[in-house]
Amino acid sequence: MIKHATSLLISLALVGCASTRVEERREATTGIGDQEAIVLLGRASYSDRETETSFTDCVASALAKGERPLRLVTQKDFKDQLYPWFEPRTAPTSSKDLAKLFAQPGVQKRIIETQVRYLAWISGDTITTDSGGSFSCTLSSFGGGCFGVSYWEEDASYEASIWDVENMTTSGKISADANGTSYLAGVILPIPIIARPGNAACKALANQLREFLQGAPIVADEV
Amino acid sequence: MTKYCSFSLVVVCVFLLGGCTTSVTVEGTIPTPVVEKIPVNIGIYYSDDFKKFQHEESIRQHGNWKVDMGGQNLLFFRNLMTAVFVDVTEVDALPLTGEDLTELDGILVPEIVKYGFLTPNVSGLKFYSASIHYRMTLYNTQSEKLGEWTIVGYGKSERTLFGTTESLGEATVLAIRDGGARIAMEMDSQPVVQSWLENVTE
Repeated sequence: MIKHATSLLISLALVGCASTRVEERREATTGIGDQEAIVLLGRASYSDRETETSFTDCVASALAKGERPLRLVTQKDFKDQLYPWFEPRTAPTSSKDLAKLFAQPGVQKRIIETQVRYLAWISGDTITTDSGGSFSCTLSSFGGGCFGVSYWEEDASYEASIWDVENMTTSGKISADANGTSYLAGVILPIPIIARPGNAACKALANQLREFLQGAPIVADEV
Repeated sequence: MTKYCSFSLVVVCVFLLGGCTTSVTVEGTIPTPVVEKIPVNIGIYYSDDFKKFQHEESIRQHGNWKVDMGGQNLLFFRNLMTAVFVDVTEVDALPLTGEDLTELDGILVPEIVKYGFLTPNVSGLKFYSASIHYRMTLYNTQSEKLGEWTIVGYGKSERTLFGTTESLGEATVLAIRDGGARIAMEMDSQPVVQSWLENVTE
């Protein structure tokens, strides 16, 4: 009985779903050698919204796995190697600034040492767009339980801007948007039905980024 | 009896909340900057206030806070100055006498003017944030003040469930790191430094 209840809870917890949309804009041909690496950099700002470290970690983890794993340099290692040039307030804001940056003594040498071919600047965040319902749990000497339903809707919107360090150009942009509604229902036991739009956006962005970097050629517009 | 128990409970709660101090010791690693060294022999004076800088603050309803960042800040500055200048000599006191000034091209005195932080409870944001105002004062070898400039470093760190001290510590390290980045990148573009360098390298 307990086994069935546990299975039911687990399966219910997995029911929550998120819908995802991915868009890609390619500006140059790409390709990455076996020894070449990519670094994912969260675009930081001093406003209240910022790309979560957990999101860039998720994309990095997804890119490093699978049939065609990419070689990644961690954000921390890269920023430490190139300190103070990739700090939140000093990092280049466009690929056009790379040439100026490379003119600084020691910078180009350090980048060559890291074997980083592409920088992917990740921006965006996950926000709760709506929430409601009522849910409460009580515990008394006669027993306890949870009753009610609450929900919250989340929207995850992220974009990766990919720079080619070798050519000092922007290779393209990929955006991933996902949204989903999570529920917490109380029928004596609390039953969570969690949608994970942040996770869905992470997987979608990672898959598209892998495809993008591993060399899909530019398809000329048909006339 | 019930009234007495309730009163005691309130007294205990107030005592516990009032006496609660969150102590944060700032730790972490900050890298060496990749910048072109300025070809001078600089004397650096770190005051005791700078070396042992601590910030104490009482926030209403959020208790007392004590942030100890002097040690980490000093380590970072020693590393930073060595990366920015060709030769660095740490001096023990100011003003320097003629003998102490031999072979020095000038003296730089970094100070922490102000440190501040915000917790998510206060700011309403998801982050702990910290800021440090540094003042850099440059003296020539006659111990005359040539000028000063201020650098502000900002840092923020995501809130974690049970990691108040870690999050604030990380935000402070990032503020030191940010301030250091500005100092390293902007040192030779400060007007006072530029005119001093012109005189020194003549």
